[in-house]
Amino acid sequence: MQKKLTLGVFFTLFLATTFLPIVWMFGNSVYEEGRFSFAYYRDVFLTLKYGKVISNSLILASITTILSSLFGVPAGFFLTKTNLPLKKLFKICFFIPLIIPSYIIGIAWTNLLGKTGFLNNILSQYLWFSPSSISDFTYSIYGASFILSINLFPVVMLVTEYALKSINPRLEESGLVVGSVFQVFRQITLPLIAPAILSGMMIVFVLSLSEFGVPSLLQVNVLTTQIFTQFSAFYNEKAATAIAFPLIVITFILIMLEKIYMRGKSFEMLGRTSSISTTQYNITWLNVVGITFCTLVLLVCVIIPLSTLIFNTKTISAYHNAILLARNGITNSVLFGSIGATLLTFIGFFLGYLSEKIRSRLKNSTAAFIWIFFAVPATVSGIGLIKLWNRAEGTCQFIYSSLWIVILGYVIRFLPLSSRIMANYLKQIPNSMEEAGTVTGTSWFRILGKILLPLQGYGLIATWLICFMFCVGELGTTILVYPPGHETLPIALFTVMANSPTDVVSALSIIIVVMTLLPVGVFLAVSKYLVFKPNQNESVEYF
Amino acid sequence: MNALEVKQLIKCFNKKEVVKGVSFGVEQGQLLALLGPSGCGKTTTLRMIAGLETPDDGEIWIEGVLANHGRKMVISQKQRHIGMVFQDLALWPHMTVYENIEFGLKANGITRADRRKKIDAVLHKVNMQNYAREYPAKLSGGQQQLIAIARAIVTEPRLLLMDEPLSNIDVKLREDIRQEIKRIQQETQITTVYVTHDQEDAFLLADKVAVMNNGMLEQIGIPEEIYSSPTSLFVASFIGEANILQVTIAGKDRVLTPWGELVCNTKGREGKNAYLFFRPHQATIESSGHCYGMIINRDFVAGGYKYRVSTSGVEFKLQDQTKHDIGKFIKFSIKKMDILFF
Repeated sequence: MQKKLTLGVFFTLFLATTFLPIVWMFGNSVYEEGRFSFAYYRDVFLTLKYGKVISNSLILASITTILSSLFGVPAGFFLTKTNLPLKKLFKICFFIPLIIPSYIIGIAWTNLLGKTGFLNNILSQYLWFSPSSISDFTYSIYGASFILSINLFPVVMLVTEYALKSINPRLEESGLVVGSVFQVFRQITLPLIAPAILSGMMIVFVLSLSEFGVPSLLQVNVLTTQIFTQFSAFYNEKAATAIAFPLIVITFILIMLEKIYMRGKSFEMLGRTSSISTTQYNITWLNVVGITFCTLVLLVCVIIPLSTLIFNTKTISAYHNAILLARNGITNSVLFGSIGATLLTFIGFFLGYLSEKIRSRLKNSTAAFIWIFFAVPATVSGIGLIKLWNRAEGTCQFIYSSLWIVILGYVIRFLPLSSRIMANYLKQIPNSMEEAGTVTGTSWFRILGKILLPLQGYGLIATWLICFMFCVGELGTTILVYPPGHETLPIALFTVMANSPTDVVSALSIIIVVMTLLPVGVFLAVSKYLVFKPNQNESVEYF
Repeated sequence: MNALEVKQLIKCFNKKEVVKGVSFGVEQGQLLALLGPSGCGKTTTLRMIAGLETPDDGEIWIEGVLANHGRKMVISQKQRHIGMVFQDLALWPHMTVYENIEFGLKANGITRADRRKKIDAVLHKVNMQNYAREYPAKLSGGQQQLIAIARAIVTEPRLLLMDEPLSNIDVKLREDIRQEIKRIQQETQITTVYVTHDQEDAFLLADKVAVMNNGMLEQIGIPEEIYSSPTSLFVASFIGEANILQVTIAGKDRVLTPWGELVCNTKGREGKNAYLFFRPHQATIESSGHCYGMIINRDFVAGGYKYRVSTSGVEFKLQDQTKHDIGKFIKFSIKKMDILFF
């Protein structure tokens, strides 16, 4: 009873914070002057008015997906299947583009390839490109795709790595005794990991379709920027909602297609036992190709953008100026990010439990229902929040004009993510751990406090940190909902970009990078002390 | 009155019936082994007794108290007063041995001093008194088993449920732990239900064995009875080594076998086709035997030889202490009283 009630409360909380604003917004968009009207939807679906925007969005998402796969699949392969030197370093560094906000990578590359950019100068000097053509290319759908693929390739890389590690090595070994490495990879390994890679590509497609920061920075006209323009420039939230609708439809179709395609195609733990390790190809030329490829990816995705930002700041005073300009934003980001991450971890734990540990026919549907909200574009979430909370009454007005509206923005954006992460951590706890407590007749709250939460400790900390990183970098929803005096660091950055020199913008970007990477660094440094390990020093007698 | 009474228990998963009207009783202080192949519904039955699964129909009575009536849980897990040992043991890795055992006692509101006494006593009982402050990960597989048992019995439960506790340990250790389980159960006299797919575990530990197959209870009885008088073809083939030959009933007490017509008691069996059952050790190779065949394979086993013999293409197994050559034509006899028909 305690369990059902608690889980019910948290699911209702999810519906209220995440589901309701979106539904409210769509409900509102088909209701005009006291009657139903689909006028705005007619504009979107039955005229060519937004055809260009929709096709831009699809092109952006498609190119990003292809580029991310070209970076991610080989990177995942080399880091799993070869004996590369500095493998661990590569692995850690390849996470950085995913952790830091995409627009920061955008700022760095526009600094390099903009009309007066360092790389632009070199390319126009030694190649036949003109400075303006390079700059135009950067500020185009192709430039945006390139930057987004830097941000999102780690998703494909991680999925590839996981799929490769999940294959039973005996399957490859039985091929290697009769065939070449290339043949085994092409005929055994690749078909086994293909469904997982496709699934990773779909995630990249959906995320780039709903991306706001990079298209906005590079002034690319896609659905998300159009939604923002309709709402903030023309105050036409109904048109904005109608434009958001294709995004939701495309996302929904993709998720459904992926579910249908993946049915029965999960090769996870294919007869695998924990004692056998992944088959590795110890071939010199493959290692050489691997190290060259990984170094190039590291240069393009991490070293060049970050060193550009550091190089651009030139002086310490740039950091001083940046801090002075964004002092409020820094404090707000830390405060809002901490509260947001705590709420996300807490609610995410119970939602994760609901979608992972409850045996029900609706279990998979619940998980898919929660997950689909992760694909809702940030700008759409922002409009939903405004429509729901912007009213004259007391509590609503209090929330709408305080930090809580920003925090609600974080919750609506990242609750599906935090619940998914929690579900994955909870999956690792055998059901018998909880059942062993249940048979003693103790209350569920005690089982929660004494067994589940302590066993989940590492997962709770990791989820909090991931949520904190995402909250600190969040732009799309915050830019729409933040009340005066409650601007966060990304908002400060976008404001500073319009009227401050490059060194200050770069300095502020570096501050955001540090703020997102620092908690991860601290966590990695102290994680060995956080993870529960019994004392290994004392002698053990065996039975 | 039985300490545990299960009546017509039914459980479905995804519209598929996995337990189909199972009924049995366990007397006070007895150990009942639920024996059967994987997926036969034995663990589900155990989990329903523990209150971890809800039956779709049927009743569970614990010491005369109705625990489940269909889907209605009449008494909670706490009121059932059950101890359980899980297949993966489920020792909480973040708690010491002491804390693991203490958890259930705290749930029952036992005072601190009493808890200490009970934990000391139970650790002494399982010969693990020096390991109270250790974490489970530091213990060997066998020690972990004993701690899991200690945790289950410390609350002096009315019923001890064990779900294949020996399935994850090696053969040598298995024998030792099995002996320990037997000793502890006999000393504590806790009524126990022990789920296993291993016949050796079931036969060595249990006062009674209940054989399950495909969600149904095939036979329940003392181990000797299950072995020597199986009541179904499944039990006959599942328990021990068996020869099961398809034969034809030619008339009253007349059976057509590969060795010709056999006159014996078919126990009123009618219909044309039947299965003849006997165990390899029940046949004696002797020149005066009425049955015959050619040896096609021979394996040495401790104390004798195992033979595969063929008669007109029908293969069966025999046992003998004498060494016979492969290809040799032999005669053998089977005591009519040992032959069963299904």
